[in-house]
Amino acid sequence: MSEKKEKTVHGVIAEYTSVDTLMAACRRVRDAGYEKTDAFTPFPVHGIDKALGIKPTILPWIVLGAGLTGTATAMAMQIWMNAIDYPYIISGKPFISLPAFMPVAFELTVLFSSFGAFFGMWALNGLPKFSNPVFTDPRFDRVTDDRFFLYIDSKDEQFQRADVEKILGDTETDYVQTVVEDESSDKVPKPFFMMWGLVAGLSIIPLLVVLKMRVSHSSQPRFHVFYDMDFSPAKEAQQYSTLFRDGRAMRPDVAGTVARGEMQADVDFMTGIDMSALTAIDQPRAERLVRRFNPLYQSDAPPAQEAKSEAGTQAGKSDDGDGPQDAKVDVADEDASENKPVQPAAEPSAAEPSAAEPSAAEPSAAEPSAAEPSAAEPSDGEPSDGEPSIMDTTPWLDKNPLVLDEKTLANGRKNFGIYCSVCHGMSGYGNGLVNERARKIVAQTWVQPSSLHQDTLYADKYPDGKLFSTISNGVRKMAGYSGQIKTRDRWAIVAYVRALQLSQNASIDQIDEAQREGILKEQADAKKVLKEKAAAEAAKTKAAEAAKDAA
Amino acid sequence: MSLAIPNGLDNSVEQPGERAPLVLGDTTYHDITEAVCQVAERKPSTSWVIGFLVSFALLQWLGICILYLIYTGVGVWGNQSPVFWGWPIVNFVFWVGIGHAGTLISAILFLFRQEWRTSINRAAEAMTIFAVACAGTFPGIHVGRAWLAFWLAPYPSLNLWMWPQFRSPLLWDVFAVSTYGTVSLLFWYMGMVPDLATFRDRSTNKWRRMAYGLLSLGWSGSSRHWMRYEKAYALLAAFAAPLVLSVHTIVSFDFAVSQVPGWHTTIFPPYFVAGAIFSGFAMVLTLMIPARKMLGLEKLITIRHLDNMCKIILATGSIVGLAYGTEFFIAWYGQVQEEKFAFTNRAFGPYWWAYWTMVTCNVISPQLFWFKKLRTTPWIIVLICIFVNIGMWFERFVIVVTSLSRDYLPSAWSYFTPTWVDFSMLIGSFGLFFTLFLLFCRLMPVINMAETKATLAKQYHMTEHGDQ
Repeated sequence: MSEKKEKTVHGVIAEYTSVDTLMAACRRVRDAGYEKTDAFTPFPVHGIDKALGIKPTILPWIVLGAGLTGTATAMAMQIWMNAIDYPYIISGKPFISLPAFMPVAFELTVLFSSFGAFFGMWALNGLPKFSNPVFTDPRFDRVTDDRFFLYIDSKDEQFQRADVEKILGDTETDYVQTVVEDESSDKVPKPFFMMWGLVAGLSIIPLLVVLKMRVSHSSQPRFHVFYDMDFSPAKEAQQYSTLFRDGRAMRPDVAGTVARGEMQADVDFMTGIDMSALTAIDQPRAERLVRRFNPLYQSDAPPAQEAKSEAGTQAGKSDDGDGPQDAKVDVADEDASENKPVQPAAEPSAAEPSAAEPSAAEPSAAEPSAAEPSAAEPSDGEPSDGEPSIMDTTPWLDKNPLVLDEKTLANGRKNFGIYCSVCHGMSGYGNGLVNERARKIVAQTWVQPSSLHQDTLYADKYPDGKLFSTISNGVRKMAGYSGQIKTRDRWAIVAYVRALQLSQNASIDQIDEAQREGILKEQADAKKVLKEKAAAEAAKTKAAEAAKDAA
Repeated sequence: MSLAIPNGLDNSVEQPGERAPLVLGDTTYHDITEAVCQVAERKPSTSWVIGFLVSFALLQWLGICILYLIYTGVGVWGNQSPVFWGWPIVNFVFWVGIGHAGTLISAILFLFRQEWRTSINRAAEAMTIFAVACAGTFPGIHVGRAWLAFWLAPYPSLNLWMWPQFRSPLLWDVFAVSTYGTVSLLFWYMGMVPDLATFRDRSTNKWRRMAYGLLSLGWSGSSRHWMRYEKAYALLAAFAAPLVLSVHTIVSFDFAVSQVPGWHTTIFPPYFVAGAIFSGFAMVLTLMIPARKMLGLEKLITIRHLDNMCKIILATGSIVGLAYGTEFFIAWYGQVQEEKFAFTNRAFGPYWWAYWTMVTCNVISPQLFWFKKLRTTPWIIVLICIFVNIGMWFERFVIVVTSLSRDYLPSAWSYFTPTWVDFSMLIGSFGLFFTLFLLFCRLMPVINMAETKATLAKQYHMTEHGDQ
């Protein structure tokens, strides 16, 4: 470039005190045709890329690539780890369950994109770079404070030192200077290396110790970090324990709770079945029902096995192979058999599988003896043929155990309105809002809720206890409400349903004489309104027809 | 330059036809550099030294407690069946929530071009990172065998021969919090590089110059660099904004995806995010108001900034209050016995004191910010914000402890009692937080100088055109 003694010239720089003067200079330099230029500013100056002719960056594309890599990595990692290499069964969901993989996929997309933006930006900027010729000028220190610099590089095709100094000197500047090579040492000072070496040396020691232990043998017993984690201080009943302040290994009941097996339940009230009558005809079933409320209940009667075979021949119903633990199977079975009298052949498919499956699966799995299949046959075949071949022998309670006063009925009405009316309708004709909506959208799987006003549901054929049980345990598509409605309130609903049924069938003689007249009048008025309506409708259709004929 | 300010340093009053200035007084670019750099360059003040010593002592105490915990076992905490999550998880959620304001200020307010964020974003971002550090400590030691916490990472283990379970919200949480910490750190550091270069160029001491020189990566202020830098900053902000919403959403999944009464609700994600922003802003104000006074930054962090942040607290506080009400309504409306019980038990059960502390601090106290007088009086703001922080800690306590202590199995019910280790660790985590924050105030640029100068440049521009 120039003489040997002089330092290499990298370019020329000029200093400005405001954004406006810098921008003016930038435009001037660009118009003069210089391309290898740069401005240095303490903060991003908007519009300077245009003034200098800086092209937009490709950074967004790098980030997009990094983000997509993140998503792909996350999905591949999760599918490989949880579905292929080590399949986890979690709540019966598919191994590749995309919704559950979303959060991690999202996080890794963000993480990779951010790495892309961060490292991509530094890489494109050529940083970190600790030696830069512009830094040689001490005045340049103010570039990060309040001064603005414009720089023309010597690599520019047009670069002529005198021209450049002139064009920069013509702008609003007090300071134009050549930028020369940095001659100071670029060696990293020794203490830095020493410190770095010390830290690295020390940090490697634990790793070496671990490696040594992994490859060598030891005759020493294993070291227990947590002795009581490896050797549990668990105690037997009646022993002394150091774990509790009172020293007892056995813990007393928690105040206000009922221990398993100590529940004193009124089973009749909870199930709607006369338990003493049921015990007489089907003891195993009675015991299973009691165990639903009191799991540890032990009967004094002969063991369940014998009783079962007796009862099985008697009722032909309970021999579905259930041990005493199978209370659930029994409940399902109960529900299925209750279906029959209600609507014999209406929709057997909805309820069948749940009832048939347990009883069908049981004999093959639990009792693989050759004699069993024939015994299991009747219960297997019973639900599918759809005929009420087995009479419902359950001794349902005939009478509502609640005191039937106005308060009970009001309570029943309230709860009926909240829980039942959405499907069954406020007056119980099976035309609630949900039903109307389902019909409107022609829902394929919808099962019409029963109208409560049919003789099969009146008290003589469908006792109060049975109605209670249906509300509690559900029927067909209707779910059981025992979890949501209190026992007492369910009985109140039963009472209210009876009142509803009566309301649609009562004769005028059943009403207080004082009220009869008013009701009759109301009825007459209603009839009159209906008649008028019908007449108006008829006239309308007639007129329409006449118009049609005329046309 | 004429910046008409009606009453001294109060720029919270809007002048018709003129935007209230964000930098006050006859400030030049150099004044901003001076104001921010003097914080790190002058000798530490007595109050800083005392604060640092106290925080550092608490941090040591936290370290001792952690060692004691690891050596003895998690029984040193009050965690006992059925409340196995206890205070460590309460503290975790509390600290993660605190962090959210930083990212919100730096990312979401940036994307919405809310320029008033410029002088507060740096400290708020630093707060985010330190809060995440505090938060990360607790699940790390809560796993029981803390030296095996690396099992959380999906790596080909020769001991386990198995992979982490990616359908568990707890694992999502690992990814969410670690991503959040990492991205916040990148964002914070990247934002600081130009200002670290200012520190470098001002330093007179060789070693100091070298240290800041290394940290600032050779930043020269080149316009090409600025252009890519701004693009990268906008991109990071665009990632950080959904990230901040996702983090507390996923934290809330830890609860909501389970079936514990009082946790199993769909309202949790928005409710947690609002709560996080609420508590985060309260923490920012609690730190910033004393700091601006002590560090002499009143011209940069103005009353207008405080006023705006108080409005955000008022808004998010009302959302949180609405969420409390909604929870109760749904518990009643859903008619699930256990849910109904869980909420009645919260408000009127054995933890009623915690519940009503929470309601008083979180729902009632921020409502005071409807009054402008209170929004612009610093000491009252600090007082209310401290209440909010207390309230938000209690909110997490109420959620974690009341639900777990009385869930489906009444025979397992019990009353949670914390131990001295629980208390020590909560206080110790504040030691960790304040140690880091005070070091930050001394060593790093507490205000984003470059961005504030850019705001000032705009302000010059505006007034020049406005006057003529």
